Parts: sequence; C-alpha cells; structure tokens
Amino acid sequence: MSLPSTALSIAGLHKSFGSNEVLRGIDLSARDGDVISLIGASGSGKSTLLRCIPMLEIPDAGTVTVGEDNLSPEGGRLTRGQESVARRMRGHLGFVFQNFNLWPHRTVLQNVVEAPLFVQKRPRAEAEEEATALLEKVGLAEKRDAWPAHLSGGQQQRVAIARALAQRPRAILFDEPTSALDPELVGEVLKVIRALADEGRTMLIVTHEMGFAREVSSQVVFLHQGLIEEAGTPEQLFGNPSSERCRAFLSGHFDRNR
Amino acid sequence: MDFDFFAGMFAQLLMGLPLTLNLGILALLGGFSLALALNLMRATRIGNAVASAYVFVFRGTPLLIQIFMIYYGLAGFGFVRQSFFWPFLREPYWCGLLALILNDAAYTSEILRGGLRSVPKGAVEAGRVSGMTRFTVLRRITLPIAIRQALPAYSNEVISILKSTALVSTITLMEVTGIARAAVSETWRAVEIFLCAAVIYLALSLLVTRLSAWVERRLSPWQFGVTP
Ligand SMILES: Nc1ncnc2c1ncn2[C@@H]1O[C@H](COP(=O)(O)OP(=O)(O)O)[C@@H](O)[C@H]1O
Ligand SMILES: [Mg+2]
Repeated sequence: MSLPSTALSIAGLHKSFGSNEVLRGIDLSARDGDVISLIGASGSGKSTLLRCIPMLEIPDAGTVTVGEDNLSPEGGRLTRGQESVARRMRGHLGFVFQNFNLWPHRTVLQNVVEAPLFVQKRPRAEAEEEATALLEKVGLAEKRDAWPAHLSGGQQQRVAIARALAQRPRAILFDEPTSALDPELVGEVLKVIRALADEGRTMLIVTHEMGFAREVSSQVVFLHQGLIEEAGTPEQLFGNPSSERCRAFLSGHFDRNR
Repeated sequence: MDFDFFAGMFAQLLMGLPLTLNLGILALLGGFSLALALNLMRATRIGNAVASAYVFVFRGTPLLIQIFMIYYGLAGFGFVRQSFFWPFLREPYWCGLLALILNDAAYTSEILRGGLRSVPKGAVEAGRVSGMTRFTVLRRITLPIAIRQALPAYSNEVISILKSTALVSTITLMEVTGIARAAVSETWRAVEIFLCAAVIYLALSLLVTRLSAWVERRLSPWQFGVTP
C-alpha cells in the first residue's frame, strides 16, 4: 500500500503587514486524509497563515502547493499568470470562514450550487442533485429554499460547509468555524466537521475548541508569534508539550474553560 | 368649486407632462451613466479627488443656480459660442437637461458609492476563494448586492429629479410647471392652478414609490420574509 500523497504544503512562508511581521517562516504539509488543528494565542498569525494558502493574503516569500499547482509569489502580489494558477488552487480548496460569509442575495441551495455552476461550469441538474445531497448531509435539506438571513448562525455555518464541499475540494480550510456562534450552537457544527474527519477528508482547522482538536486531529500545530513553536500528535501536544509557551497556552486555555 | 375650470386646467397641464417625463427620464439615464463613470474614476487617487470635488460642487449648490449658470453664464464665454456645442447650449431645453444630468450624477454617484461600500467584504472573499474571476465576482456578487442596497435611496433620487424638472420653467421651458405659471399670469387663479400641478407631481411620485417597492421585493425577497 502506498502512502497517501501530499494534498497541500507550505514552505518558508513569510508575511508582514507594514512593519508587523506576522508569519516568520512557516513550513507545514498535509497528506490526504490528514486533519491538522492550528492552535495558538489570538494574534499569533493563525488566520493569516490559513488565508495565505488560497492567496487571500499574498505571502511576501515562500511557496504554497495545492495538489499539482504551486505558487511562490514575490513582492506581495501575483502576476496575471499566477492569478490564474491561484484561481485553480482555490478551486481545489474549500474555505470556511469564522463569519460564514454566505451570499445574502442567494438562497441556501443557490449558495451551494454557485461555484459548481459559475466556476466549474457543471450541468445544473447534476450540481443541484449533489448540493441537495450535501445539504442533507449537514442536516439542512429542508432549508434548501430559505434565505441565509433567516437561519441561525449554526445553520449558516453548516450551509457554508456544504458550499465548501460542493467544490469537491482536495482539502478544506476552517478559520475558527465556531467562534462566532452562541455556545449552544457550537455542537451542531462540530458534529458536522467530526463526521467529515471520519470520512477521511483532508482538513486544516484553526480552533480554540481544544477538546475537539484533541479528538479529531491527526496532528496539532501550536503557533506562536508567527512561528511553529511545537507540532505533534494530539497525545504529545496536549499530554506532554515540550515547549514551555505551549504548556502555558494550554493551561491558560483549560483554566478558562473550567 | 369650479369643476370645469379644474378639468380644463388638468387637460392643459397634462400637455406639459411629456416634456416633464422627457427631461426626468433623460436626466436619470445621463446621470446614472455619469455616476457610474465617477465611481470607476475613484479607483485612482487623482480620479477620486476629481470625483469628490465634482460631488462637492454639484451637491453643495442649488440646482436653480446651476441652471442659471449654464443658461445665462456659458454664453459669456467666447469659446463656448465658437464651439460645436453652441447650437445646443443656446437652447433652453439642452441647458436645462444638462443641468439636471450634472446634478443627478452627483447625487446618484454617492448613492452608488454607498451601495458598493455596503457589500460585505466577506461575501466578496467567499467569491474569490471559490475560484471566481474578478469579473465573475463583480457580476454575481458585488453588483447584485450593491444595486439592491442602493435601490431605496435611488428611488428617492428618481422622485427628486422628477420634481426638480419644475425648475427649468424658469428658463422658459413649458413643462407642467411652466404651463402652470403661464396660466397663472393669464388668469390669476394661482391656488387652483398650482394645486392641479401639485396633483400631477404627487401622482408621479406615487407611481415611482409603488414601482420601486415592487422592484425591491423582487430583488431582495429575504428582507420581506418572502419565501422563494
Ligand atoms: N489585513 C491586515 N492588515 C494589517 N494587519 C493585519 C491584517 N490581518 C492581520 N493583521 C495582524 O496580524 C497579526 C496576526 O493576525 P491573525 O492572523 O488574524 O492572528 P490570529 O488569527 O492568530 O488571531 C495581528 O497582529 C493582526 O493585527
Ligand atoms: Mg484569527
């Protein structure tokens, strides 16, 4: 049996905003089926790292590889040719935002079929059939004709996950998918993500839900001031972190949750 | 009450309605095009400054003065009289229309700008991250949301411009108000005549309000609890 191949990888990634150096040389890679949780204090650069992968932020240096495509932008911008590679890379990724970012002027079903129809140019019947199945999977089949504004935060986030899945992505990136939710709605979203992990989906998840991270991750990465301070299996990282900073971060976190 | 007088007056004033509508509709079309151009100009720093100055001047001065400046003022410049445009700028119709267009563009460009600014950044990012080209994002996300947001304010501007056409009666144009003023100077029955004119403008406003409510409901059904 061959090893799973690399779904995405990041090498030597640097990113500054003005004089604020947010990412200071990040290397990370995910093989197919990996679930990697990114943890770290607020401001440590987790969102920036995640956003650099689909080039929502353009790195200053480093290489991002998604499947067969890779980009090494220079000078914080993409050339015209790189822009089209970036679009192809985005097509192979799903991105789930903290604030859902559904399109308010489209119904639930329209949100899910938008990219399949208008980016991937798939036939409508097929796209709608697949979208319906995805909505069923996230437990929202009966909301297919509702407007996003009429859904709860948890429901909106589940639609956003279905929308990401509809692109048939190689990997899905989650940026704190439950941080904008009322506490009682967190569970329903985590349950959906957990099911995706069980299916063997490749995912990168920025999260503050330590219990969840421990349970679903194949690898946990602790980010500190733009560098990977520690990475390992959940058992290593949560059970016996070698970095003092990681230990302090985790104990602070578990104290706060208690 | 003198019903015959009212009926006759209405018939007379309605003769001016085609010109009122002509001026209003052309001013809106011209104003919208110019407003779109002004917003596109804002992409560059100089263009942004020019657009801001334009809006400042045309929103900051009375339309009546703009009309007078164009009708009486332009003729004072030799080069205007020599130019290709003089045959137009000599005519009160073209001067009035030009003033209305320039004025409407200033207001409409701000309405459009507000609509564009109200588009959630996250909605645009979600489009980009799904692999859309910039043009697809504009066509499928930015413009549809911006136009829906701008619609209520824009319908006010439509009503405002239709009423503003009354001001061109001061440069001899015989639209609804122009005819009313002429009739008043003949008959001295100012209250009745202006009342008739007011009713015509009211009817136009009502029509626009209804129409825009209908369009709004069609375009943003989620704001009205309509299920698709
Ligand atoms: N678009 C931006 N412009 C300027 N500074 C930014 C921008 N995005 C993030 N930052 C800064 O980068 C640092 C890391 O932010 P972020 O990646 O959001 O951290 P995290 O997600 O770990 O909380 C913060 O200091 C933040 O202020
Ligand atoms: Mg963040």
